[in-house]
Amino acid sequence: MRESRPGRGGAAVASALAAALPLLLFSPASGGADPQTCAACHGPEGNSTNPATPSLAGQPAQFISMQLFLFRQGDRKDPQMTPVAKALTNAEMNELAAHFSKQKPTPPLRRTAAGTIEAGRQLAERFNCIQCHGPLLTGLQHIPRLAGQQFQYLRTQLRGFKARTRADLDGNMTSAAQPLSDGDIEVLADYLSGLNAP
Amino acid sequence: MTPRKFSLRIRAAGSATALGALLLPAVGSFAQQPGDKPAAAPTPPPSWQQGRSAEQDKSPLHPFAINMTGKPAKELPVNQLKVPPGFKVEVWAEDLPGARSMAQGDKGTVFVGTRQLKDVYAVIDRGGKREIKTILKDLDAPNGIVFSRGTLYVAERNRITRYDGIESRLDNPPEAKVVIDNLDPNKQPGHFWKFLGMGPDRKLYFNIGAPGNIVMPTYMEASIMRVEPNKGVLETVALGVRNSVGFDFHPKTGQLWFTNHGRDWLGDESPNDTLHVVTRKGQHFGYPFCHQGDTLDPEYGKNRSCSEFSPPTLKLGAHIAPIGMRFYTGKMFPAEYQNNIFIAMRGSWNRTIKQGYNVTRVSFDASGKPKMEPFLTGFLQDDKADPPMWGRPNDVMVMHDGSLLVSDDQNGIIYRVSYGKK
Repeated sequence: MRESRPGRGGAAVASALAAALPLLLFSPASGGADPQTCAACHGPEGNSTNPATPSLAGQPAQFISMQLFLFRQGDRKDPQMTPVAKALTNAEMNELAAHFSKQKPTPPLRRTAAGTIEAGRQLAERFNCIQCHGPLLTGLQHIPRLAGQQFQYLRTQLRGFKARTRADLDGNMTSAAQPLSDGDIEVLADYLSGLNAP
Repeated sequence: MTPRKFSLRIRAAGSATALGALLLPAVGSFAQQPGDKPAAAPTPPPSWQQGRSAEQDKSPLHPFAINMTGKPAKELPVNQLKVPPGFKVEVWAEDLPGARSMAQGDKGTVFVGTRQLKDVYAVIDRGGKREIKTILKDLDAPNGIVFSRGTLYVAERNRITRYDGIESRLDNPPEAKVVIDNLDPNKQPGHFWKFLGMGPDRKLYFNIGAPGNIVMPTYMEASIMRVEPNKGVLETVALGVRNSVGFDFHPKTGQLWFTNHGRDWLGDESPNDTLHVVTRKGQHFGYPFCHQGDTLDPEYGKNRSCSEFSPPTLKLGAHIAPIGMRFYTGKMFPAEYQNNIFIAMRGSWNRTIKQGYNVTRVSFDASGKPKMEPFLTGFLQDDKADPPMWGRPNDVMVMHDGSLLVSDDQNGIIYRVSYGKK
């Protein structure tokens, strides 16, 4: 059930690598922010293949730049993303955000369990996901695209909002996540991660 | 790199299998809601959602978030900005994410506060080129900024501080000295960022807003207060003020004029945001009982009368979100602009058809009757779109040379409006 950093033994090496990676690749000497650096974790053109790492392809630019900002400011914390964000200027954040917002999201590799689709659709309506994230759950402005996002990542975020540990600029998601049961979170993450919206 | 990628794929497959085992019970628990653990104690909605009716629960209206990393002017349609004939508008400074309240130092430095960021900037004009320094960091919503007699005063959420002699040491600012503290004892969400003004009485004026959209305020909330910088003793100036984030003192009468945001979720046309003048210390302006001087609140207005409260001087438009306001006292603009008011309209969001997103001029006829007209426009592009605008005026400030600066916290840009050849 722990999904934020899967694995134990190999993960130590992997996370050490990952921690060093951004510092190497985003050092001032490398001259600005290269989107290819992000692809090492977030997948080719920002289409993640790791269930714990979010896809960036097709995310609204303002969402990406705001999250980078929150990591740099320390409101959002992550052993890999924090050092990445600390090394970026506002202009670089904006460039990366613009780049990944223009990439085409590939269809999700993962399929929603057949029995969950209708339950997930109902939950997304009942808990007002579509009010902010849009009718196709593709996000807008500072609000992220959820359709086709990685399952574990979605589940971790929802659990974090519910536990009030995930940074939340205006309190919306913290509030919205409170009535969700653990089961609801599973269903929503399963449903959203399998959505293949354009 | 290759082994790392490979290991990621293995993990992906592994967790997908683990997931299959998880899902069945999860779906089951959805189908049988009573089987779920009851949700924890209900959490109040975010303050902007508070006061919605049951049917508005599905409303797509939402506040707009600023670009926390700013946005360069070259990516924005700044050439769409319009001012009256004879005036000129230009980008004066950029890369000031979240730029809000402004104040000018004796030597010309423009100090800029922020709300969602934690910084205070200084902008120095060096021969037509603007240099930007972040002079204060890690503050708690440092929205209020005043410069007076060599001292910069900053109003954070919880306190007001002073920085003496800061303009001659921008690279090495002095330590903050506390003027007054403990202004945010409850630390709850709400309208608690502050605007700051220096009155002709040499007292610092600031607001403490309402804790939600439409909530009964507690002690000190929904008020405008003042404090004498050297004594730190508070006085109540005005009550029943839901959320004022802009005020100024009339150049002749010295009276306090302020803008105020009305409540949300009562429809596209109600209630108006308002412009007020304080004629008596401790005056009550109606919140949460009466809005815009003549509209009782559906809930809190029961068994009350608006005649009990002071009405506004001018209704500015529903949900139009007036922020900064200043009397024009400069020498650059035509004479008829003298002692007019400029107001920065940062909204609206709580309307299906949007309005505002401009700087409005308020002038007065011989009998003192106010009249308003748009002065700087072009930020609003499509009143039915989401978002409807590309920029949002936040504060206005008359420069020493008489030009008018307008901050735009959506993009972190400051524009300058000038007249004639300047």
